[in-house]
Amino acid sequence: MQEHDAMSLPRALDGIRVVDFSWVRAGPWATRWLGALGAEIIKIEWPENERGRLPSSTTPQDVEVNLNTSGNFNDTNVNKRSLSLNVRTPKGLEIVKRLIAISDIVIENFSSRVLRNWGLGYEELCKLKPDIVYVSMSGYGHTGRHHHYTTFGPVAQAVSGLTFISGLPDKPPAGWGWSYMDDTGGMYGAMCALTGLYHRNMTGQGQHIDQAQMIASVPLTGPALLDFTVNGRASRRDGFPPGNRAHWPGTPLVNNYRGPTVAPHNAYRTHPGDYNDWCVLVCHSDEEWQRLVQVMGQPAWATTPKFATLAGRLQHQEEMDEGIEAWSMTLDKYELTERCQAAGVRALPVQSSEDRVEHDPQLRHRQMYREMEHPALGVRKLQNAPFKLSETPAVNHLPSPLIGQHTREIVEGLLGCSHAELLAGYADGTFWPTTRARYAYMEEMLR
Amino acid sequence: MTEAQTLPGPLAGLRILELADEKGQFCGKLMGDLGADVIKIEPPGGEETRRVGPFLDDIAHPERSLFFWYYNTSKRGITLNLETADGCQLFRRLAAAADVILETFPPGYLSSLELGYEKLREQNPGLIMCALTPFGQTGPWRDYITSDLLHMAAGGQMASCGYDEVDAPNAPPIAPGGGNAWHMGCHYAYIAIMAALVYRTVTGRGQYIDASIHEACALTTEAAIPNYIYRHEVVRRQTGRHHAPGSTPRTQFRSKDGRYVTALVAGRLNPRYIKDLAELLDSYGMAGDLKDPKYQDPKVIEANRDHIIEELVGNFIASLPAEEVYHAAQARGFTWGAVRAPEALLDDAHLHDRSFWKQVEHPELGRGFVYPGEAAIYNGSPWRISRRAPLIGEHNQDIFCGELGLSVHELAMLAESRVI
Repeated sequence: MQEHDAMSLPRALDGIRVVDFSWVRAGPWATRWLGALGAEIIKIEWPENERGRLPSSTTPQDVEVNLNTSGNFNDTNVNKRSLSLNVRTPKGLEIVKRLIAISDIVIENFSSRVLRNWGLGYEELCKLKPDIVYVSMSGYGHTGRHHHYTTFGPVAQAVSGLTFISGLPDKPPAGWGWSYMDDTGGMYGAMCALTGLYHRNMTGQGQHIDQAQMIASVPLTGPALLDFTVNGRASRRDGFPPGNRAHWPGTPLVNNYRGPTVAPHNAYRTHPGDYNDWCVLVCHSDEEWQRLVQVMGQPAWATTPKFATLAGRLQHQEEMDEGIEAWSMTLDKYELTERCQAAGVRALPVQSSEDRVEHDPQLRHRQMYREMEHPALGVRKLQNAPFKLSETPAVNHLPSPLIGQHTREIVEGLLGCSHAELLAGYADGTFWPTTRARYAYMEEMLR
Repeated sequence: MTEAQTLPGPLAGLRILELADEKGQFCGKLMGDLGADVIKIEPPGGEETRRVGPFLDDIAHPERSLFFWYYNTSKRGITLNLETADGCQLFRRLAAAADVILETFPPGYLSSLELGYEKLREQNPGLIMCALTPFGQTGPWRDYITSDLLHMAAGGQMASCGYDEVDAPNAPPIAPGGGNAWHMGCHYAYIAIMAALVYRTVTGRGQYIDASIHEACALTTEAAIPNYIYRHEVVRRQTGRHHAPGSTPRTQFRSKDGRYVTALVAGRLNPRYIKDLAELLDSYGMAGDLKDPKYQDPKVIEANRDHIIEELVGNFIASLPAEEVYHAAQARGFTWGAVRAPEALLDDAHLHDRSFWKQVEHPELGRGFVYPGEAAIYNGSPWRISRRAPLIGEHNQDIFCGELGLSVHELAMLAESRVI
């Protein structure tokens, strides 16, 4: 679907308003999707304790670092509007209460007691809007003895068992090279908000949904947990985790929670051997192995009987993997992929960020990265939704907001305040710190 | 039991038909555990995912797969051969009364059986159908065959995960385990389905969803893509911590008991943090020179960064068990954590406080087992596991006789002819 067509279609969450207190990454990743789906996201920010816009390691080299020039912030906060507001003052709190009273969802990812301490706990929210859907996205949840513990993605991953299940045997955990639980915690935030919204539309009842980053990680290791609770087998054992393999040679032959126990199942170097020149190959059956042997040109080593059976391939994995890599090193990873897939062999390239944006023909065909103009960053590619809704496309439609960019339209347009009240709020430090220089677009707003 | 625990789940009243293997079964579980009536439709003899281990007592059998058990809780199960005329007919009748169909067949398969969305919506305009496939319904890779490992490669996970050279020379990029490519696809599919359901509550209109696991994975590497788009930098792999364009200080430290602690220290080293850190270390007599007032000068901190991280923090963690470091540090406000194996969570007191672990009965075995619980507590419409995963065709009679009105004789005939 062309972009201009998508823009003219309705959106799934048209008419839904979200008061978004979230910051850093997990919460903003949740509201990014609610926004893409058409909800009006009002991002409440305050420059003095902002976390997400700064410090920025993703500001382009030729652009000044300031609150409006983080690339990662731009990608994480599309489809939102920004209200700069000091909620820690009586006047600011009063304004946010008026907003909540005309909103459907309140979402935040502070630690467990922050909103309650502001006087905005769930009971208070209900007084403002009886059917409010309140999604809290804390590290450990709002109940339980460690509710006050804090997380970043890597800590949630460590404590929950996710870090442990990544790596080579007899090495430190390799873990996850990014905050997987900021991405996934964000997904759960959006999932909870949508589920609560659906339930509200069906029953008229709102609720508090207490989502927790560390705890949301635990169900992602389900089969390993059942192997322990049912069979008594711990994952802290020889040969686990087995790197990219389904089974590590010379260790007990048990399932390692990534699907069937098969070989080959590994990463192999490809031509020309640079940092990300790798492919992965998996054969789920003897037939798939025979197809791979054909694609490799039936080298003598591969046609010996010891590799014809799954048991043989598992037993002789080291020798088999060396043989496969001697062949894979002769091909570019995309050429290898095409040859294998054409023959019905499971193979794909290891892709870097550059590969995905520039070289992946599938992502290009599906328009995964579409350009949009941002007032401070210029025209840039943004990541789009991995699903296509036929009636209500979730294509990005707004660049990330400049801080406080929409204060006037929210305060005057939505809440019906007068322009004089807006000016007074800037003068008394409600909408912007009086000690901090204002951006040009704010001066424009104050005319 | 509190009042809230007896309430229906938030998705109560929804009928979901799930035609899904490993790619989509978690999405069905997410909906079933939140109260939807999920009918899992398997081919006669059972879904292939029943052949994946581990198995109860290590005895391979389609009713003993813990992999299948885990991902199919709170569903009912029927069998149906869609490649027969009778099977198609029965499926159309089920689809006429369904809210959502979730399917993971190769693109074009259901349409080739005259069971594509356009056909099914004729009899049910509010129907939502989500096809969750490796690459979506279009594009040059749409017919490629995959696995969890393949998605983690092409999606970018592997390019971000691995080792510092000093920890594992010549190590390959690493794909984290646990089948997370399927989780990523299922989380996004769940979001798309819920958005379509919310839209339907307002308009009554259904829609078709074309969801791609490859795209879901490609989206799930945090700042790797923005690093490239905004700075043309390609991130590199680092042991147990964030990918980055260049080398960064370590964050994973070995503890006295041979385990590891994730301690995010670098990047936070300011005078106030040093003061708190000195107090934490000093409470174990391990502060070294860190209480020296010179460390209130940011320049001195910067000049001594390696000493602070490698020697003081490293030695402190090396002197204690990982769990003790974790709790001592968190109690003082440090965002640190022990690297635990999944099974260690069974002993986590906080999870017990939140009644996280659930006992699930398997009546045919006369036994019950502990399963992990909910990602979030819904205070007005609780998550729950309503039943263990279905046995093969366990609900054939309930659905085909009880709902569609077939006689038990007709059911027997369908079984004989391998329609069910």
